[in-house]
Amino acid sequence: MSAFAIETHGLTKRFGDVLAVDRVDLRVSRGEIYGFLGLNGAGKTTTIRALLGMIRPSEGNVLVLNQAVGPNGRGPWAQVGHLVESPSAYPELTVRENLDIARRLQGIQNPKVVDEAMTTLSIASYADRKAGTLSSGNLQRLGLARALLHNPELLILDEPANELDPAGVVEIRELLRSLVQERGVTVFMSSHILTEVDRLATRIGIIHNGKLIEELDTDKLEQLRTKRLEVRARNLEGAFISLQSAGYKPVIQDETILTESTHAIDYPDDIVRILVNAGTPPTHLAVIQENLEDHFLKLTNDSSLRAQAATLVPGASAGEQSPTREEIASSPHRPAVGTGKNGSSQ
Amino acid sequence: MNSLLPSLWAETLKMRRSKVPLVSAIGFSMAPLAGGLFMVILKDPEAARAMGLISAKAQLMVGVADWPAYFGFLSQAIAAGGMVLFSIITIWVFGREFSDRTAKELLALPTSREATVTAKFIVIAAWSLAITLLIFGIGLLVGALVVLPAWSTELLRTSFINILGAAALTIPLMSFVALLASTGRGYLLPFGWTIFTLFLANISAIMGWGGWFPWAVPGLFSGMAGSRAEFIGPHSYAAVIITSLIGLAATFYWWRNADQTR
Repeated sequence: MSAFAIETHGLTKRFGDVLAVDRVDLRVSRGEIYGFLGLNGAGKTTTIRALLGMIRPSEGNVLVLNQAVGPNGRGPWAQVGHLVESPSAYPELTVRENLDIARRLQGIQNPKVVDEAMTTLSIASYADRKAGTLSSGNLQRLGLARALLHNPELLILDEPANELDPAGVVEIRELLRSLVQERGVTVFMSSHILTEVDRLATRIGIIHNGKLIEELDTDKLEQLRTKRLEVRARNLEGAFISLQSAGYKPVIQDETILTESTHAIDYPDDIVRILVNAGTPPTHLAVIQENLEDHFLKLTNDSSLRAQAATLVPGASAGEQSPTREEIASSPHRPAVGTGKNGSSQ
Repeated sequence: MNSLLPSLWAETLKMRRSKVPLVSAIGFSMAPLAGGLFMVILKDPEAARAMGLISAKAQLMVGVADWPAYFGFLSQAIAAGGMVLFSIITIWVFGREFSDRTAKELLALPTSREATVTAKFIVIAAWSLAITLLIFGIGLLVGALVVLPAWSTELLRTSFINILGAAALTIPLMSFVALLASTGRGYLLPFGWTIFTLFLANISAIMGWGGWFPWAVPGLFSGMAGSRAEFIGPHSYAAVIITSLIGLAATFYWWRNADQTR
C-alpha cells in the first residue's frame, strides 16, 4: 500500500487555450491535512475535480488511495468523501431524504448513518426540512454530512468553511482535526481563508496560475509562525558582535540581523540600549512574524493580485495592511520599534 | 444491477417529491377533456352552430362524434402533445441536475454513472407511459360520460395499441433530448431542440418524406395525416430505433467521458 492518499504526476488540464492546471505533482500522505491554497482561478477546483475523476486530465495521471482515477469516473469512491465548490442538494427533498439518496448511492445498508451524520454536523433539527429552505450555512453542513456519511478514508473538500458562521468554522475545524487524530482520515482541503488553513493544515500547497509553486511542510509552517526581532544598523558587524556578546544568538540575513530570543522580542528597548551603548545605534528595529498570509502574498507577488487577495484575506487590504519594513526604517537615526505582524511600528 | 437499484430508488424519490409529475399529468389530462368537449359539441349540431368558432374548430379536428373519432383524437394528442410533454419530463430529469448543480454529486460514487443514466431513462419511460395510460383511462371515462356511439371491444383493442404505439415511438426519441439537456447543462437547449424537431416533423410530413424523419413517425403512426400505411413502413420504425439508439449511446458516452465542470 502506498504511503500516499493522493498522488498526481504531471497533472495538466487545458480548456481550449486556457491552461488551468500546469504539470502539478501532488503527494498527500495518509493521515495528513493538506491545505490547498490559491487565488480565484488559480486552478484549485479544477485540480479537485481531476482528483475526483470529474474532468479528464489533458496530461498526467491521478492516483487516489493507490487506485488510478479512470477517465470514465472509476475510482475508490466508496472510501472518498467530497465537497466540490458550493454545496448543492435537491431542493424539494428534505435533509434526511437528500442524505438517504447519498447513503444508497454509496451502497451503505445501515440507515442509521444518516442520523449520525446529521448529529455530527448539527443539522438533526432540520432533518425534515426541505433542503431548498435551508440557509447557505446549513446547506454547507448538509454537503459536509454527505461527504462524511460513509466514514471515508479520504476527504477532498473544496472550501469547507464557506458560508459558515465563526462558530461553525471552529466546529468544522475541530471535527476535521478529530477525524484525522481519531480515525486517521486524510484531508485534502482547498480554501481562501488562509488563517483557517494555517490553523488546521499540517502541510500546505500553493497553486498559482495553475502551477504548484510551493509546498510548506510542518517545519516551514512553524518557522513562519516564529517571531523574530529584526535589526539594521549602519555598522552591521558591530551591532552583530554586541548582540552576540549579550547572548542573543543573532544571525545576519540580507543585511539584517535577526534573533529569535524571547527576551529580545519582549524587551526590544533593551536591545536599543545595548546597541546605543556599544556605539552601533540601530536604524531599524522591528518584531516580525511572517505568517501564511504574508508568505502567500509574497509568493503571488503581483500588484494586480494583491487587490484580489485583499478581498480574500482579512486585514490584507491597503487600509489595514501593516507598514512595510521600508516604511518603518524611513528615518535612519530614529529607530522604529515594531511588535506587530510583519514589523508594525509602535 | 446492484448499483441500478439505488439509482432507481433515488430517481423515483426525486420524481415523487417533484411537482412536475402532477403538473404534467394535469396538463396532459386536458387532452381527453378537450376531446370530450368537442364530442359534446359535435353531438348537438344546433348547439355547435350556436357556439360559432369553437364548433368550427371541433368539426375541423374530429369530424364526427363517435368512439373511433375520439380515440383517433387521443392518439394524435399523444403523438403531438407527447413529443412536448415527454420532452419536458426528460428535460427536467436530466437538466435539473445541472440547474440545481447536483450533477457533481452523482459522479464520484460507487454507483456507476451508467446506472444513474439508465435509472433516469427508466423513470422517464415509466412516467411517460403512466401518463399515456392515465390519458387513455380519462378518455374512456369521458367518452362513456358523453355516451359516444360505435363502441366495440375490437375498437378498444386497436385504439389502445394505437395510443400506446404512438407513445412507444415517441419515448425512445427522448434520448436526444436527454443528450442535449446534459451537454447543454440545463433546460434551454433541449427545449429549443424539441420545438425544432416538431417544426421539422411537420415540414417533412407535408413534403411527403415524414416516414424517413424519426420525429415525424409518431404523428404519422397516430393517423394525423391519414392512414398510417400510406406514410410509414419498416424504414420508419428503423429510423426511430436507430436514432434513439444513437441518442442513448451518445448520452451514456457523454456522462462517462465529458468534463464535468458544474
